[in-house]
Amino acid sequence: MRIKWSILNNKVKQETSSNDIKQESKDTLASSDYFTGDLTEDIEKMRQMIGHNSDVHFRDLYLGETGIRATLVFVDGVADRHLINKYIINSLMYGFPKEVEPAQSVEPFSSFIDYIQHHVLSISQINQTRMVSEIVLDVLKGSTALLIEGSEEVLNLGTGIVKSRNIEEPISEPLVRGPRVGFTEVLRENTALLRNSGKNKNLSFEKFLVGKSTEKELVVAYIKNIANTELVEEVKRRINKIDIDNVLESGYVEQLIEDNVLSPFPQIQSTERPDRVIGALLEGRVAILLDGTPFALILPVTFSMLLQSPEDYYERWIPGTLIRVLRFWAAFFTLTGPALYISFISFHPGLIPTKLTMSIIATREGVPFPSLIEALLMEIAIEVLREAGLRLPKPVGPAIGIVGGLIIGEAAVQAGIVSPIMVIVVAVTAISSFTIPQYSAGVTLRILRFVAMFSAATYGLFGVILFFLFLGAHMVKLKSFGVPYVSPAVPYRVSDWKDFIFRMPILLMKRRPKMMHTKDSVRKS
Amino acid sequence: MQKYKIMRGVRRFIIFFSILFMSGCWSSVEVEERGFGVGVAFDIAEASENKESTDSLKKDLLTVTYQLINPNPTSQDNGEAVSGRKPYNNISQTGDSIHQIVRELARENEHPVFMPHLKVLVVSEEILKTLSLDEILDFHFRDNEVRLSTLAFVSSGKAYETLRTNQNDTFPAFRLLDISGNEYRTTKLLTPVPLAKLIGKMHSGSSFLLQNVVSSNGEVKFSGAAVIDGKTNKCLGFLNEEELEGYTWFTGEGEGGVIRTLDKETDQIVIFEVDEMESSITSTIDGAQIAFDVSIKSEGMLSESWIDSEEAIDNEFIKRIEKEIEETVAQLVTGVLEKTQQEYEVDVMGFGEHLRINHPKVWEEMKDDWDQTFSDVPITSNVTVKIVDYGSRIVK
Repeated sequence: MRIKWSILNNKVKQETSSNDIKQESKDTLASSDYFTGDLTEDIEKMRQMIGHNSDVHFRDLYLGETGIRATLVFVDGVADRHLINKYIINSLMYGFPKEVEPAQSVEPFSSFIDYIQHHVLSISQINQTRMVSEIVLDVLKGSTALLIEGSEEVLNLGTGIVKSRNIEEPISEPLVRGPRVGFTEVLRENTALLRNSGKNKNLSFEKFLVGKSTEKELVVAYIKNIANTELVEEVKRRINKIDIDNVLESGYVEQLIEDNVLSPFPQIQSTERPDRVIGALLEGRVAILLDGTPFALILPVTFSMLLQSPEDYYERWIPGTLIRVLRFWAAFFTLTGPALYISFISFHPGLIPTKLTMSIIATREGVPFPSLIEALLMEIAIEVLREAGLRLPKPVGPAIGIVGGLIIGEAAVQAGIVSPIMVIVVAVTAISSFTIPQYSAGVTLRILRFVAMFSAATYGLFGVILFFLFLGAHMVKLKSFGVPYVSPAVPYRVSDWKDFIFRMPILLMKRRPKMMHTKDSVRKS
Repeated sequence: MQKYKIMRGVRRFIIFFSILFMSGCWSSVEVEERGFGVGVAFDIAEASENKESTDSLKKDLLTVTYQLINPNPTSQDNGEAVSGRKPYNNISQTGDSIHQIVRELARENEHPVFMPHLKVLVVSEEILKTLSLDEILDFHFRDNEVRLSTLAFVSSGKAYETLRTNQNDTFPAFRLLDISGNEYRTTKLLTPVPLAKLIGKMHSGSSFLLQNVVSSNGEVKFSGAAVIDGKTNKCLGFLNEEELEGYTWFTGEGEGGVIRTLDKETDQIVIFEVDEMESSITSTIDGAQIAFDVSIKSEGMLSESWIDSEEAIDNEFIKRIEKEIEETVAQLVTGVLEKTQQEYEVDVMGFGEHLRINHPKVWEEMKDDWDQTFSDVPITSNVTVKIVDYGSRIVK
């Protein structure tokens, strides 16, 4: 089966042409966007744009002994004050070379600016600009603008500091074995983490800017000699199409570029783990990193990936396989636990072992609700508890879990509202849902569980089978960036089954997944 | 365009699910609202049990007793049994057809009978002499709720008595089921016959055995077997316990058990425990004259011997005991042969089956009156018993 990337290609042209129009309009802007060289006027221009902000500082000074006025503009907190004090103000006021005569220097002004750039300021990142709007944006991001009397060129000094936290173990994806490293909110640190995980000259980071009112940096990462070119192009194309004023988190990107908006299944994987991203990149997938969030996106994604954990590969293959099979079972039970309970209790008591039937009858005696209502009551209760436990302050959370789980469950049984068997089913279902390593996949199964429950209450086991048929039909049709969602099951590829429900020894996994159509298919020879 | 697609998807989803759930909870009956039948007994209707009936067609042929699970034998609060409450509930109804009787029960019992958990089915000897198995069990073979794994028994007394017990914590139906599983401990139990096998036996035309259950005062015992005639599917009579034992040895179907014998020299008890049992039939056909020879082989353990230990420890002794056990087994086998050949004149041992497979042409000629032919056929048997183990007693 061939991947068809080109389906939506016809819209790319429109996008590029509209970009051109923007460019032109910028050129024909009123000359007010350019610095004039008159310091008072230039400062006034900047003040008009950002001067009303309390955190914007205008620092006037004279360049050494020359008597030339200059002004530094920077935003407090975003710009590094220490750097400004020690290497900029100090150099300009006291370290300014005495031999530079004002008369001589003023004459060819551009060379004077160059002189300052090359001889005076001892900071690493520096460039010149003439446009007000450009420098204003940079100042807001942390740069310092140096305006000099008589110069139309303004120096843009890179003084931005980035506040970041320490690298910690990812909270949403803890592992017993594996690196205790998670992404942070700083894009550059995240890309550095990927770079550090191994020298690879083919690891490529392509930068994009997303968001109209608040521009944010986004990086598309892939390995040049592995990832399928069409896939990378498709990802870039979809990112270029993003047209939204603000991208708060990578979840926005995920929702704006995914294939099927109506599907309950996540078609892009989000992760906090650099090792997971690297693993995916080496399989020929593409990762998207966004500034300001520790969650990177991996795509395309297949269903089995949602039930796999990096640990499966770190452990030996036997425990890895065992735990993975366990996880598939847990996922199945999460999805169908209450549905099977309902269909057995209300439709097919003949399928329960006789002695178990006897004890179920005894425990259900006096329960006033049919099994569907009973199951709904308990399932909703446990979902509410889970949500409450998540929102509560950390020290209170577990306490509420205990109160809710134990006391309410026990009391509900005592009061005869639900049967003890139902409590067991709900508890096992809830515990099973926690074995799924991907939070978003867990949520999906929890939602589908309710659909399964209603199907079961309508037609019994026949309904559950119908539900699975519809679910199967949907999953088989679903694609994530051209890769069938349930591959390698459908379309069937035996070689990819080595890393599907089972995890075969690494010795045997010589080739990259075929479904990714990688350029370089050999992983190990 | 994208927005339109999404809206269309949502609309389809809503229509699909409202159609799906429009049918409501189809044939949903909660588990506690069903009467789980675990056992059923068929008896001949007694005159005194006749209820006033408005139905002129009703002939009151038989009484059917269903054993239902009593849903709440214990109080929920402390789990202690409430006195006088049994975990089961036997309900009887008299009528002329089984299905009608089952539906009549819905007028007397709050939970209609639900059959998939039916474990045992007991037919009384009395009714088997007047009605055939075919007639009695027809409903249970046709009904989709009844499982074919239900075991069939015959009772030489009243069948509903076997579904009674004096103990509050036992289920008579499960008791029958569990006893029939003890086949590996004794040769006096017949291999259980589920409905699935029974229907084959009934229509094969050859006679067969069904385990007999006797009961008194709420106690039951598996004792002997009923001989069912292959043509009429009615009960001809019974094999007693020894004859059933002989039958088990004859067919080699036993999974375990003991043979008790008296040592002639010392007049002491010796017990042989069966480990393996095997029998094979060989036939010789000379014109119209058929003769069978059955060879029975068994290996096992000398598990108990009351003979003075000084003597009981050499190979001579073992040989002697083997001989004596062989004789005992041969007696059992002869006993059952005499009974079936001379008294009942039916072949329950499967000689016909042997003939059908090995001499199909002969069988074609004889199958119509095989039972008569069988009663005159000479049958010889030879028994070989080998003691392979005598425990931790020392042998010289």
